[in-house]
Amino acid sequence: MIIKMEERHGFWLRFFHWINMVSITLLIFSGLCIHAPDSIKLFGNMDNTRMLHFAMGYVLLFGVIGRVYYAIVAKDAKNVLFNPIPDIKNLPSMMKYYMFLSDSHPDYGKYNPGQKMMYTGWLLMAILMLISGFILYAPNSFMGLAGILGGLLAVRLIHYIITWLFILSILAHVYLDLSEGIPVLLSMFTGKIPKDFHGQTHDKNMEA
Amino acid sequence: MPTKLSRRNFIKLCAGGAAAISLSGYLAPFMKEAVAAGAPPVIWIQGGSCSGCSVSLLNSVHPDIEKVLLEVISLRFHQTVMAAAGSLATEEGLFATVAENKGNFILVVEGAVPVGADGSYCIIGEKNGQHLKFVDAVKEIGSQAMAILSVGTCSSFGGIPATPPNPTDCKPVSEIVKNVPIINIPGCPPHPDWIVGTIAHVLLYGDLPELDVFGRPTMFFGDIIHDNCQRRQYFDNAIFAKNFGDPGCLLELGCKGPIAHCDSTYRLWNNGVNTCIKAGAPCIACTEPEFPGWPIYDRIPEMPIAPGITATVDQIGGVLGAATAVGIAGHLAGNVLTGRIGPKKQAEKEGDN
Repeated sequence: MIIKMEERHGFWLRFFHWINMVSITLLIFSGLCIHAPDSIKLFGNMDNTRMLHFAMGYVLLFGVIGRVYYAIVAKDAKNVLFNPIPDIKNLPSMMKYYMFLSDSHPDYGKYNPGQKMMYTGWLLMAILMLISGFILYAPNSFMGLAGILGGLLAVRLIHYIITWLFILSILAHVYLDLSEGIPVLLSMFTGKIPKDFHGQTHDKNMEA
Repeated sequence: MPTKLSRRNFIKLCAGGAAAISLSGYLAPFMKEAVAAGAPPVIWIQGGSCSGCSVSLLNSVHPDIEKVLLEVISLRFHQTVMAAAGSLATEEGLFATVAENKGNFILVVEGAVPVGADGSYCIIGEKNGQHLKFVDAVKEIGSQAMAILSVGTCSSFGGIPATPPNPTDCKPVSEIVKNVPIINIPGCPPHPDWIVGTIAHVLLYGDLPELDVFGRPTMFFGDIIHDNCQRRQYFDNAIFAKNFGDPGCLLELGCKGPIAHCDSTYRLWNNGVNTCIKAGAPCIACTEPEFPGWPIYDRIPEMPIAPGITATVDQIGGVLGAATAVGIAGHLAGNVLTGRIGPKKQAEKEGDN
């Protein structure tokens, strides 16, 4: 049996996905080392850890800029951005599916409202992370901005809270992907997914 | 004001190499000359404060403070240091000087300004047989000054008196007087060099030094403590003190060095003897506008989660993490039970084909 494949993720989307995955993962680990240097020691001394953290901060900055540019140019934004009016209307049917109350759900497009909410949230979180991170990186250059946010200690708190949100939401993201099946994971490498893979769970009447 | 010391050299002198020479001692002859040539007099008034800033200034050892006050600065009024007292002192010493030098004197304010209860929390003397409220004095004298120097964190940003719950409704000077340029010299207390150096700049050049966004002279507050810390190598090597007195970086004991702006790590206190972190005390970032609204011996403040209840971010994260784990486990169980993943799904698929 030959499985017919269809294009799901373009090359640049996959490129930025993995760039951002690497930078965010390393940022989380090096960030935790900086937060608790006594209990978590992964990169040797503090010097290496901070160097890695700052370098990855720049990688994330350009990764986010690139991803946003791609979303605009490739018209991918409408796929990933949470659009309150239709997406909130679609939430109940999606929740029903995830809570096992129904076996199928309407065709939401490329991503369901929950995914859109998560991806849009990540964009906002990444922007907040970059702002607070660069304030802490160069406290002399962004003194005014730090004052607006309530001082550098408040900035530190914001930075740390969002780290936790990233860790937890990434766990949920990885789980939900894997639970959908290995083809979903593979599609982020190859860009291709078996034809009508997602169609199996769509409402039959919606497909017609 | 003609002077032999160029402004560029002055800034260089103030900003660098401070420990090698005594800044106040070096500046004294130039300031003396300026005062002799008719530089503006200085008036020092004190409100919601602990007198610590005055005491800090009195600690300038070379030249001794007597010389600084009598010859180097033309100090006309200082409640704590002068011998005169009573309404005579207020009327003759304070208001007569103000009237004589309208628009041509420097006002130094020490301490926050309590404005609650119409300012009656802080009475600094008598004028015409009436109570002289500090807030009225700052308003009246401040609005006629050439410049105001807010000495200490209290007068610069509110400091300890303005920390919640702030029953006396203390305000920084910048919220009381708006029409006069204000220089903030925060610190709890400020280093005598910062006070003398800033006064010297205004006396010698007749205008304000370069200020940052919080109104602090960048020649003294342009550096981060952490970047010049004597214990910095400990930080880079990840050696952290767990108890007071241990060798190592004091970050885990709540040191605010990475967020504090001032030069005391290389200017050193008590005439170049020591500084807070070198002596084993974590930096409390006393020069920052938010001081002391943060835990002094904790690295990150706790988060308010409900009125009157706070929790650490790690506690909140732990609870959310447990919830996420339960959610994932539950959903996974559901997935297997309903056959969305696992052998059942395979069988179904094969049946379809």
